[in-house]
Amino acid sequence: MIHFQEVSKHYNNQTALRKITFSVEKGDLVFITGQSGSGKTTLLKLIYLAEKPDEGNISIAGWEIEKLKESDIPVLRRNIGVVFQDFRLLNNRSVFENVALALRIRGVNDKELKIRVFESLKIVNLRHRADSYIDELSGGEQQRVAIARAIVSEPTIILADEPTGNVDPDTSTGIIRTLNDINARGVTILIATHNRELFRHSGRRVLRLDHGDLTGEEIG
Amino acid sequence: MAFLYPFRVAVRSILHEKWINLLSILTIAAGILFTAITVLCLYNGDVATKKLPEKFSMMLYLKDNLSQEDLENIMNTTKKDEAVKAVKYIPKDKALEELKSTVKDTEYILDGLDENPLPDSIEVKLKDEAVGPETAKKLTSDLMKINGINEIEYGEKFLASIYSLIVGMKSIGIIFVVIMSAGMIFVCYSTVKILFYRKNREIETYKLLGATRGFIRAPFIIEGAVIGFCGGLLSLGGILSLYYIVIFRLSQTIPLFNAIVFPINISLFLPLAGLLIGITGAAIAIGRIRY
Repeated sequence: MIHFQEVSKHYNNQTALRKITFSVEKGDLVFITGQSGSGKTTLLKLIYLAEKPDEGNISIAGWEIEKLKESDIPVLRRNIGVVFQDFRLLNNRSVFENVALALRIRGVNDKELKIRVFESLKIVNLRHRADSYIDELSGGEQQRVAIARAIVSEPTIILADEPTGNVDPDTSTGIIRTLNDINARGVTILIATHNRELFRHSGRRVLRLDHGDLTGEEIG
Repeated sequence: MAFLYPFRVAVRSILHEKWINLLSILTIAAGILFTAITVLCLYNGDVATKKLPEKFSMMLYLKDNLSQEDLENIMNTTKKDEAVKAVKYIPKDKALEELKSTVKDTEYILDGLDENPLPDSIEVKLKDEAVGPETAKKLTSDLMKINGINEIEYGEKFLASIYSLIVGMKSIGIIFVVIMSAGMIFVCYSTVKILFYRKNREIETYKLLGATRGFIRAPFIIEGAVIGFCGGLLSLGGILSLYYIVIFRLSQTIPLFNAIVFPINISLFLPLAGLLIGITGAAIAIGRIRY
């Protein structure tokens, strides 16, 4: 599903990722861990095409990134649900509208849209907050809205960048449980986190990054 | 209904940014109104020009004691010219009668005349499309080569002045319309560009979620179209007010205003012109969206 072959990325002479090679198969749930600045976010950005690699080859869901036309980028992105580190929610819209946006982009009709948005909000326990505006929510609630938006379109891949960064341990456990449930339906999931508690005893594959190098792989 | 979504976003943005949009609408309305008034003036100038050929004629004054054969030669040669529509021979006696009828109230001016001082003449009418200083000059030059014509008169300087004035007015009018149109497109461009920058982060999010260029562009194009259309509607109101409140009322008391032609059907296209200006400005403002 996701293949990196000798991939490097530099920002102004600073190396963010150095010759990274790994594969994630369809239906896997993989953790990417490392300290701040280790390259976790850059790695995810390369997958959802917010950045282009300087070297190496990337293949996502059968698409060769270097051969991709500009008009193919939105098509590929519609196969990927992303929980951004900074959430990227629209403050002037309600919770419902923020989650619905992912479906509106895909041209889903209003009736189906309503059902699916409420289903997603139910999964993240935010159905009662559907009419609230984003700036009325706590950080943890905003994070859960971002998760609901990422899962509502039923993508084949979900990328979560520090999905428990702003939540208490109980909510954090709930979010991981939710992502596990989604993964059980066959969705490939990559979770970038510096919180080791999330994958300890999970039995999941963990990729470790250190200053842009892939330094190891383990089972959590 | 998914296709209504861009309209909802556009309406929300128009209401949210109501002051900047209102300012743009008023600017565009004023621009279209001035342009429409300019076009109205040009149209009336054109109508007046089209009436000119009906009244225009050239007078060929003939030499005295011309033979019938020479007269027929002049008549036939003149008729053969492709610019000529009709020729009419006016004997000097008839010319004097016409002169007398023209100066009916001051006939005493002619009392001292012992004999008819007027020459025989030929009145030449040109085809409507041929009336102009160049054709009249060329025809004069050709006809003066024929034996028997003493002088040709057609108000050369007047005709040249009128045509220069018309050409000048048309050129200035066209330049004005082009500049105003470009200005109005720029107003719409600036408005949409400002809104586009303000929503930069929102647009980036759209792109990252997989929105197509059409999905991102549509609300802005609709917003530009609405701004332009509203501007066009206001200008239509302005031009109709100008007609009914000013021109129509004045024409009842001042006959000069009766001569103004107001093509009311064409003015109904003003909102459409505004719509096109709005769409063009918005499309240029958004430009090419890159991923």
